Amino acid sequence: MRKKRSSVLALTGLTLLLAATACSNSGGGNGNGNGNDGGSGNVAGANEGGETKAADPITLGMMWWGTDERHEATKNALALYAKQNAGVAFKPEFMAWDAYWQKLPTLAASKTIPDVLQMDAAYIQEYVARGQLEDLSDIDLSGIVDPNVVENLKIGGKLYGIPLSQNAQGIAFNKAELEQYGIALPQKNWTYDEYFQWARDARAKLPEGKYPIGDSTDWGGYNMYQTSMGKDPVMADGGKKFTLDKDLFMTYYKTYEEFRKAKIVPPAEKGAAFLENDPQADPMASGVVMTRGATTGSVSALEQLMPGKVGVVNMPTGPSGGGWAQSTIFLSVSANSKHKDEAKRFLRWFITDKEAGKTLGLTRGIPINPDIYKDLEPTLAEKDKLGKEIYDLSVEKALPFYSAAAGFSEWVDTYNKEMQAVTYGQQSIEDAYDKINKMGTELAAKAGS
Amino acid sequence: MGTAEPLSQAGYAEAVKAPGRKRKNKGETNLAGYLFISPWLLGFFLLTLWPIAQSFYLSFTDYSLLEAPVWTGTSNYANIFSNDATFTKSLSVTFVFVLISVPLKLFFSLMVAIALSRNIRGMNLYRTAIYFPSLIGGSIAVAALWRNMFGLDGYVNQVLAWFGIQGVGWITNPDTSLGTLILLNTWQFGSTMVIFLAGLKQIPQELYESASVDGAGRFRKFVRITLPMLSPVMFFNLVLGVIGSFQTFTSAFIITKGGPINSTYVYALFLYDKAFKHYQMGYASALAWILLGIVAALTVLNFLASRYWVFYESDGGKAK
Repeated sequence: MRKKRSSVLALTGLTLLLAATACSNSGGGNGNGNGNDGGSGNVAGANEGGETKAADPITLGMMWWGTDERHEATKNALALYAKQNAGVAFKPEFMAWDAYWQKLPTLAASKTIPDVLQMDAAYIQEYVARGQLEDLSDIDLSGIVDPNVVENLKIGGKLYGIPLSQNAQGIAFNKAELEQYGIALPQKNWTYDEYFQWARDARAKLPEGKYPIGDSTDWGGYNMYQTSMGKDPVMADGGKKFTLDKDLFMTYYKTYEEFRKAKIVPPAEKGAAFLENDPQADPMASGVVMTRGATTGSVSALEQLMPGKVGVVNMPTGPSGGGWAQSTIFLSVSANSKHKDEAKRFLRWFITDKEAGKTLGLTRGIPINPDIYKDLEPTLAEKDKLGKEIYDLSVEKALPFYSAAAGFSEWVDTYNKEMQAVTYGQQSIEDAYDKINKMGTELAAKAGS
Repeated sequence: MGTAEPLSQAGYAEAVKAPGRKRKNKGETNLAGYLFISPWLLGFFLLTLWPIAQSFYLSFTDYSLLEAPVWTGTSNYANIFSNDATFTKSLSVTFVFVLISVPLKLFFSLMVAIALSRNIRGMNLYRTAIYFPSLIGGSIAVAALWRNMFGLDGYVNQVLAWFGIQGVGWITNPDTSLGTLILLNTWQFGSTMVIFLAGLKQIPQELYESASVDGAGRFRKFVRITLPMLSPVMFFNLVLGVIGSFQTFTSAFIITKGGPINSTYVYALFLYDKAFKHYQMGYASALAWILLGIVAALTVLNFLASRYWVFYESDGGKAK
């Protein structure tokens, strides 16, 4: 087994060597656009050190999460880069979201994070705070990414992740069934009051066993409500400031309590069995709930479960706005990478190369680079148009994207469990508030000390 | 015995004649032996003992994986015992799980083993079929099966509906969710059953024959012969069952994720969340050591209690 592997390795090396010399010959000749850096580097290498130097290919590790569609597209893009840049090979690792964030901390602890890694807005602060990510401010993004976007993404004045796409949060609804039951479709920039009233009205027209909206137990849903009403986000200033407005909290969850009694939201037992994007258990695709949250990046999966039936609208708004619309998915470089320059060159290529853009499509949302999106626009499928629609609807009123502060992951779980106890009728809203507020306040005090 | 005697005599003679040489010889033999098992030893020291020692140290620290551990003394333990409601909850969930599932599993596997110990044509087929669930126990497929069976619109409720009974969402109802996991655990009685089966085969037939001659009925034979003769095997299964049940994880992790509202939040899942979801490695290590303490104490208790109900044939069939 081992012997076999080493001979495979030698063979790969030989192949790469041949490829490298072959490319350097032609690379010197045409030398246009992308891959020129890598190509000319190889020419120099071949000239100085002969064959031995060109035989030293760089292998960049790259890790990302996502769906199969994204995995395939990304692998193809990597192959494209390797073709354009002889001497660079990749060691890709890809998995689903949960597995990714389980694996990354252990890699970080052993300082073996791959050279290039996908990052999410929900986690990037934590990894930057722990010195795991390389400063990417010197990558030239002018003309590729809006300077305002870049400025907004900086953490402590430095850029640690190259934004890949535009993302936004909205609500998907079952257009076909709402029309069938004569229910008015949700309208852009609806307010929370209109949203709640819409749900009450829809209840009257829907048959038993179907529900207008889903229940709310996670902190994110409430945080959107609190911020849209002009209050501070629940967590601010890296977790040092904690705000859980009791009046708003009570109003919000009292409304849902009323909804549970009136069967406007499904009973807790039913809600707990939902599993998003599962053909049978998805709350909306199963035909049980008429609406559910969806993002630009995720709505296509829902559309594929119920083709032609999905409509979208932005999040309900308050006096300060509502929802969010911004980049949440990035590529970063590990601070422990041995090939930082090559990794940075690759990152820039990833969002500028037209061929790469075509290969990657919308597998990470709407490409951040307007030129690439323009090329893709005429060929967009229906499922991708929905994602764009959520973004376009949300941009006007969008608030910032709020992620849980570092050290609050357990609080997030607690929030969910305490609110779940409320939905099962085992606890009063007030008791849940006290517990959640106490824990959050203590964590904030700890973060501030 | 016969072949070992001359060798040891020779060795003895040699030792008397030249004690120094013997010691050297013995050292060499030992060294060779250790060399032979060195791959295993290395694995044991580096991959088992070292991490265990490390976890003991970490249990006195605050360690988030991304930063170096910070020594905090016994504060992890103090926090766990004084103000962690989840610890109490998960421990009580686990105790309920152990208390119900261990006896249930022992009972069922014993009954099945007795049924399978008879000599019927095609018995091997039955044995295989009945052992089968244990092979696929922790898999995703079983989790999906369980969801379909015990879901709100699952098979179980459909069957109940034939009799006019309105079912509940067995998995998503906090009162019944732990029950479904206990049922799943009981269903995987395969290995326990096989051990019982082996134990049953060991019981000498003469005992039954002479009891029959004395006019003992089936029930009497079972209580007076089978159970006492089987008690060492029962004890073994009990100890393993208790240890295994305390560490139960997979089904709760895959099927219920500990919910709804912590009703199936077993201790191992709590520990896992602390370690790999919230990255509180120090706290999780402390939890692991507490679990070890609990399991060790219960095992000792089991051994002490065994004096009163386990009978070993070699001791003349008497309980100590």
